[in-house]
Amino acid sequence: MKTTALLFAAAVLLVGSPTGPARADIKVGIMVPTTGSEATYGKDMENAINMAVEEINAKGGVLGQKFTTVTGDDGCDPQMATAAASKIVSSGVDGVVGGYCSGATLPTLKIYADAGVPIIIPAANSTKFIDLNPGNAFLINALGNYQVDTAMALFKKLGAKKIAIVHQGDGYSEDLASLTKKRWTEAGNQVVAYELVNKGEQDDSAVVTRIKSQSPDLVFWTAYYADGALLIKQLRAAGYKGKITVGDGSTDAKLIELSGKAADGVNALSNPLPEFLPKGKKFIEEYKAKFHVDPGPYSALSYDGMNLLCDAIKRAGTVDKKAVAAALKATKDFQGISGSISFTDKNLLAHSNFVVLVVKGGKFQLAQ
Amino acid sequence: MAGPSATTTQVVKKGWLTVQEERLFDFFDDRRRRYAAYGILLLLALALPRVGDNYVLEIFTNSFFYIVLCLGLNIVVGYAGLLDLGYAAFFAVGAYTTGILTSEAGWNFWFTIPAAALFSAIAGVVIGGPTLRLRSDYLAIVTLGFGEITRIAARNLKELTGGASGLIGIHRPVLFGLELRRISHYYYVFLALVVIALFVSYRLQNSRLGRAWRYVREDEDAAEAMGIDRVAVKLYAYVMGAIFAGVAGCFFAAKMTAISPETFQFMQSATILMAVVLGGMGKIPGMIVGALALVLFPEIFRGIGSVRMLVFGLLLIVMMIFRPHGLWPERRN
Amino acid sequence: MSVFDIVIQQIVNGLILGSFYTLVALGYSMVYGIIKLLNFAHGDIYMVGAFVGFSILSLLSGTLGDEWGGILVAMVLAMVAVGFLGVFIQRIAYRPLLSAPRLSILITAVGVSLVLSNSAMVATSGVYKAFNTGLGYEGFDLGNIHVTFTQLVMMAATVVLMVVLHLFISRTLYGKAMRAISIDMDACRLMGIDVNRVIALTFFIGSALAAAAGVMAGVYYGSIHFFMGFVIGLKAFTAAVIGGIGSIPGAMLGGLTLGLLESFGTQLPGIGTQWKDVFSFGLLILLLIFKPTGILGRTEIERM
Repeated sequence: MKTTALLFAAAVLLVGSPTGPARADIKVGIMVPTTGSEATYGKDMENAINMAVEEINAKGGVLGQKFTTVTGDDGCDPQMATAAASKIVSSGVDGVVGGYCSGATLPTLKIYADAGVPIIIPAANSTKFIDLNPGNAFLINALGNYQVDTAMALFKKLGAKKIAIVHQGDGYSEDLASLTKKRWTEAGNQVVAYELVNKGEQDDSAVVTRIKSQSPDLVFWTAYYADGALLIKQLRAAGYKGKITVGDGSTDAKLIELSGKAADGVNALSNPLPEFLPKGKKFIEEYKAKFHVDPGPYSALSYDGMNLLCDAIKRAGTVDKKAVAAALKATKDFQGISGSISFTDKNLLAHSNFVVLVVKGGKFQLAQ
Repeated sequence: MAGPSATTTQVVKKGWLTVQEERLFDFFDDRRRRYAAYGILLLLALALPRVGDNYVLEIFTNSFFYIVLCLGLNIVVGYAGLLDLGYAAFFAVGAYTTGILTSEAGWNFWFTIPAAALFSAIAGVVIGGPTLRLRSDYLAIVTLGFGEITRIAARNLKELTGGASGLIGIHRPVLFGLELRRISHYYYVFLALVVIALFVSYRLQNSRLGRAWRYVREDEDAAEAMGIDRVAVKLYAYVMGAIFAGVAGCFFAAKMTAISPETFQFMQSATILMAVVLGGMGKIPGMIVGALALVLFPEIFRGIGSVRMLVFGLLLIVMMIFRPHGLWPERRN
Repeated sequence: MSVFDIVIQQIVNGLILGSFYTLVALGYSMVYGIIKLLNFAHGDIYMVGAFVGFSILSLLSGTLGDEWGGILVAMVLAMVAVGFLGVFIQRIAYRPLLSAPRLSILITAVGVSLVLSNSAMVATSGVYKAFNTGLGYEGFDLGNIHVTFTQLVMMAATVVLMVVLHLFISRTLYGKAMRAISIDMDACRLMGIDVNRVIALTFFIGSALAAAAGVMAGVYYGSIHFFMGFVIGLKAFTAAVIGGIGSIPGAMLGGLTLGLLESFGTQLPGIGTQWKDVFSFGLLILLLIFKPTGILGRTEIERM
């Protein structure tokens, strides 16, 4: 009885073992946070990428092959991200689209580079990527230094001379804050307060008092919406009447929801949100029809990222990772729904894609 | 009375599971069998890189890393009975020591290991010295406080530690001319660390110090009456645990090439503590079980990601009430 | 803003902060006084209180309205509900371990904390919830400082709760029993006091107070999230230690002291907001090393 079972099992294994069929699919890795506090952004990016994949496949794929995807959850945590990157590389991907939290994405670049896999990053945009890019990462979201350009132009327009900068003590917001401080003071202006709010801490009264005592013309919040909303509310409750600007990490409808009336008149720096793009309307409708929620702030860029990868494969004429990476590098004026994409020799966007929004009547609108 | 009827009576009195556990424990009580078991595990571990892909290696390297951390915390919590809720602080000290010395002072990685051990030990003395005579409740919160202080300091001291973004681009160590860059390299390195940590743990357990720890844990006042310096003994445990974490931290920094204060939050300390408790405080094989469970659990049950800590928390409560000695069986006498 | 303005503002800030710390610290002190346990999960009770209050207010805002009337009703209901939760937790997680080694019950408390905070995390998917009320920023001005009515009501509510608690402890039989048990539990048992009942009541009151603080925090700050119990747990513990753990007037004193110290501490050069928590923890550690009994605490006599 036992022997027969064993023989049977062996037979099944032999017959069922993979014979290594010819590769009919191009595998793309998606690395985003699908769990944790940033999960809504991650899921949104994943949705957009999958939507692009489906559209491409419906038109017959590329080079006669179709795309499949495999998702790795980076949880916005460096340790989880490296595990996810390893997993993605192990499944034999030809390219990766992903990367939301800069702090989590940076350590994965080496893993991808060691395997020769090119990665297109649609959201993470810390300036640390400039020096630490092994050469296989392509950033299609404008980096922090571009955001500082846009911010400074906005501050000037609003007539601010003395500003206060507040960050949250994480890699992204601190980077943006220190960069802004450096360039604002170099331009001959003043940073009268440079403060930190602990993530998750509700009482900002100490920061608010310190800021108020310096009477800045404008407060610039460089971190995320959850704590930003708390700060905005408490600033207004304390009677602060100056201007408030938030960085792209806070540009989310939830900022307005959590701030209530205090959000009125707040300026927000943003990368291309679908609702403000010329081709955005169609994208929003399709996304909504598919996923039954509104597309999030990085959906357009993620969608473009996937299409860019496809385009690069087409231009390279092969799925060979090296050739694809070379084709990506050579990208000139790729027309995505977020705008035109070209890379500098450091694989960064050749021009800023930041826009300035303002909160009016409980919603974001393009500022004039 | 020998024979089947005796066994049946035994089973009825103690419960089937308990009897099986006792059998398991007795089986491994024999030293040679224990060595043999470890030997087999070691062989399997050495063979894994031939058949496993990078993902599997990554998971197990992670497990090995947590085994070392658990063994370290085991000395503090399991042997000496001190509830440390801020263990990640020592791990941070080791990681940052290596990161700073290699990136900014250009040290050779291998020399940073004794440096990290030294700094971790100093940290252990500084934190433990004044606080170890406190009651266990207070000690728990104080260690948590120190954990937070360490994390915040790492975040704020931008010049030294890279601030909130942390240290990035830590150089890979070079061993006999070979640069350690692939996951299989780190797999073997961490495996070696596990072997060393196991060896040290067993030696400590069976030493005079180990016995002193047991006495202090069972009954502090009686131990004191017997002439054991309670505070000194606790401090030794604390510092040993710190060194384990510090050395593990070095290799962590080298492998990740990037470290940031976020890795050293309270959750990290709580996670290691949970693995120690679930595996079985004070029991070395339990540490292996606990660490493996910790790392493999979310990988196997993929969807469970966010519910993981919830489940672990429940297990902790259930464990303490019904099975306080953890998953690994315990001698019953 | 002049220095005077800053001083007044920081006093106001400190009193508000202090109110929260006091309410949560009371629970710590009471429980510690009676069973010598530092309930590590107490901060998360505060968080649960905020969420329960939020849910009640959302569900019933039609009938209650979202101004002070509705808020107070929601708060009282939340206090009762979370009070029972505290009793429940005590019954199933702590009571079985009262005679076990110390370590076991401490670890269980960590487990309870993880269960509470992660349940909230799963329920909210980690997203902050907006606690929207109809309250505005109306108030009056003290020079350059604007004090809102919300702030005044909150401080008043805290005072009311503290007074009620004080009366309860000093005038009622249960209060007397609590104090007696904290001195010698076994003697009380021998005298026929239903110790378990009194312990349960202690947990009920402590949890209810923390829940009140949670609801007020939700109202005041406008948003709640699953991890908000962590830091306040530590701070409230610090406050309890400052005042003398096990002492109820101590918790009140400690809460206010810590609130004021923190607010003024951030004005000191070199500290600022980034080192604020280190300042508080450092204070805690120094206290525990040099004066663990705090301001009003009693020195413990260890019985062999």
